[in-house]
Amino acid sequence: MADNNTQDSTDERTATDGGVAGHHGQSHRNTDYLNAEVNLLNPSTPFMRDHLRIIWTGFVTWAILVFGPVLLTAAMPDLMTTTMPVIEFPLHYFLVAVCGPSGALILSAWYARKRDQLDAKYGIDHTTTTESGGGGSEDAAATDGGERSQSDRDPRQDAERSDGGVSE
Amino acid sequence: MTGTATVLQSELLPQGMDVSFKLAPAILVLGMLGTFLLIGFVFRVADTEDMWVAGRSIGNIENGMAIGANWMSAASYLGMAALIALSGFYGLAFVVGWTTGYFILLIFMAAQMRRFGKYTAPDFVGDRFNSDSARAIAAITTFLIAFVYAIGQARGMALVGLYIFGDLGFAGFSGYQAMVIFMMTITVGYLTLSGMLGATKNMAVQYVILISAFLAGMYVVGWTQGYSTVLPQIEYGMLLSELGNEFTEPFANSSPYLWIATCFSLVVGTCGLPHVLVRFYTVENERTARWSTVTGLFFICLLYLGAPAYTAFGTRLYDLNSATGTTYGDPGMSGSTADVLVVIAAQFANLPQWFVGLVAAGGIAAAIATTAGLFITGSSAVSHDIYTNLINEDATQRQQILVGRLGIIALGVLTTLAALDPAAPIAALVSYAFSLAGAVLFPMFFLGLWWENTNREGALAGMLTGLTIWVIPMINEVVPTYTTSTGDPFVPVLAQWVPAIGSALVAVPIVFAVTIGVSAMTDEPPIETKRVVRQCHSPEPMGQQQAAEDVVTDGGETPADD
Repeated sequence: MADNNTQDSTDERTATDGGVAGHHGQSHRNTDYLNAEVNLLNPSTPFMRDHLRIIWTGFVTWAILVFGPVLLTAAMPDLMTTTMPVIEFPLHYFLVAVCGPSGALILSAWYARKRDQLDAKYGIDHTTTTESGGGGSEDAAATDGGERSQSDRDPRQDAERSDGGVSE
Repeated sequence: MTGTATVLQSELLPQGMDVSFKLAPAILVLGMLGTFLLIGFVFRVADTEDMWVAGRSIGNIENGMAIGANWMSAASYLGMAALIALSGFYGLAFVVGWTTGYFILLIFMAAQMRRFGKYTAPDFVGDRFNSDSARAIAAITTFLIAFVYAIGQARGMALVGLYIFGDLGFAGFSGYQAMVIFMMTITVGYLTLSGMLGATKNMAVQYVILISAFLAGMYVVGWTQGYSTVLPQIEYGMLLSELGNEFTEPFANSSPYLWIATCFSLVVGTCGLPHVLVRFYTVENERTARWSTVTGLFFICLLYLGAPAYTAFGTRLYDLNSATGTTYGDPGMSGSTADVLVVIAAQFANLPQWFVGLVAAGGIAAAIATTAGLFITGSSAVSHDIYTNLINEDATQRQQILVGRLGIIALGVLTTLAALDPAAPIAALVSYAFSLAGAVLFPMFFLGLWWENTNREGALAGMLTGLTIWVIPMINEVVPTYTTSTGDPFVPVLAQWVPAIGSALVAVPIVFAVTIGVSAMTDEPPIETKRVVRQCHSPEPMGQQQAAEDVVTDGGETPADD
């Protein structure tokens, strides 16, 4: 029965040049996403690689935020229960009760913004299917050809933009 | 950790609470319920598309509020304070688990689920794994989650109802039990009259009511007692040293392992809960799905950052009240008292009766809003996934709606019966549902979306494994509370390492391993399925009414740009 259990994706995928060959919007248009394997540990498209980099960064930060204070308290109870100046919280209580939820909120907003920037970078436009729903982000999607938010982009990504960032 | 809480379980009358009929609070609650019904009537619906996902017309802020109302049940509004008061630092595992879980949901699942475009969790599992058996297991799980979760809500509604309506005590039922029946009748009656469109509109209203009531209670109690001024969320720190040491002492009531197991379970449970996921289908596009998660979390944090502050105020007032003992004394605060601490705090602070009634009404709003969402998803599992897909494929819309409504009534009756003598406090009851969602559904969603080679055999093996690992500690810990006098678990070692309240910490890695292992040893899923998964990760925007499957079958072969 099992004639196809190698778990290798049988169909070849296109545009697997690592996303460095040219503009991201270009590589996005050249990518056939329906023929690109989905595997969390082995991203196959430039977009997914970039996306997963954001996801893993967020995930590690999240894990430290959620479990770090508790593990530290178990390991060093005396230090972690020190009373904080002014607000008088025991340190462990503050880190968990106040920093935990607010940290997750900040991380979520960070991720949603990063994702909007990623859409802009790849020239993905949600405006045709949405009203300007908002959420306070500066989306405007990619109507500017991915030019906006230049200052937010990290230098390494700019270095990859061999075409000078003009896409349309 | 639930040891203290099970004391006085049989009586279920909160210590020191004024149990009597009060006119102004009663008018407040009934007026509020009347408003819900009116809104439900105005937005009433007759066809199934509207009934289940509100025609996918909900925007970011409104959906965020619906996420908030749907999320913040009696467990958040009432049960959270109970845990923080009685279990101290361990209670914070719930504060953290029930908020930070949304981030994991956001980064790994929200947008992909939206793209997959299925109405319910069983639909997702059935279509992703091409299996009616998988769909049936997911539907049964969904129904079980709605049921277990709702028991906690019924307990909360009834305890708060006692303050407002007093001891109804009809036909041999105790005051608490009569109130369970009364409140559940109202909830089911309301739900059968409105579908989800009405419910979503209601949820925005319900969110506003419950958050206003909670924050008003917290601010006014803090202000009038001189505990806090403008920022009680931080100012309660100065009160902590005056409370019993048990309030802040780390691991006084639980081991670090139990803390982490509970928190982990709540996080993965958040990601696996069908009534949370269904919120992503009601928005226009995946960008709105992402941002509504952020706004939803913001609305949730408004309550969660305040809960420990409110609890600190309530605990202090309880200690000072001459009619009761101290919180950690002997006798200490009972579980049912802790479950209504939010209301009792306002009463002990000698605030006007109508104001205490407002805080109580907020608790009832929280419970009804969540029960509404749960019953809708639970009944849609019955009508959509079991009845229409497995029993009667030619079901007309009328038949589907009829079966859906019967499902709601069945859930209502089951929940009422179970809530008459609940085995645990609100938050613990709700946590059992989270362990179940985390152990069975979360691995299927996660692997189904992130590893295209996850197949039918893997999913079936994984889900059955998850169900088994959830059921064993439930039997070990919950059954003894009904059958033995002490209520101690059958196997203490098992309860220590696989606690019912946090069984997902053990279950999730095992279910992942089983699912991946079995998938790797059997045939890959068909290419059509893989393409649907790929479409869920494609950054290409999709139309509002489009699902990944449509794109793949319609025009997937030749992307428009080529």
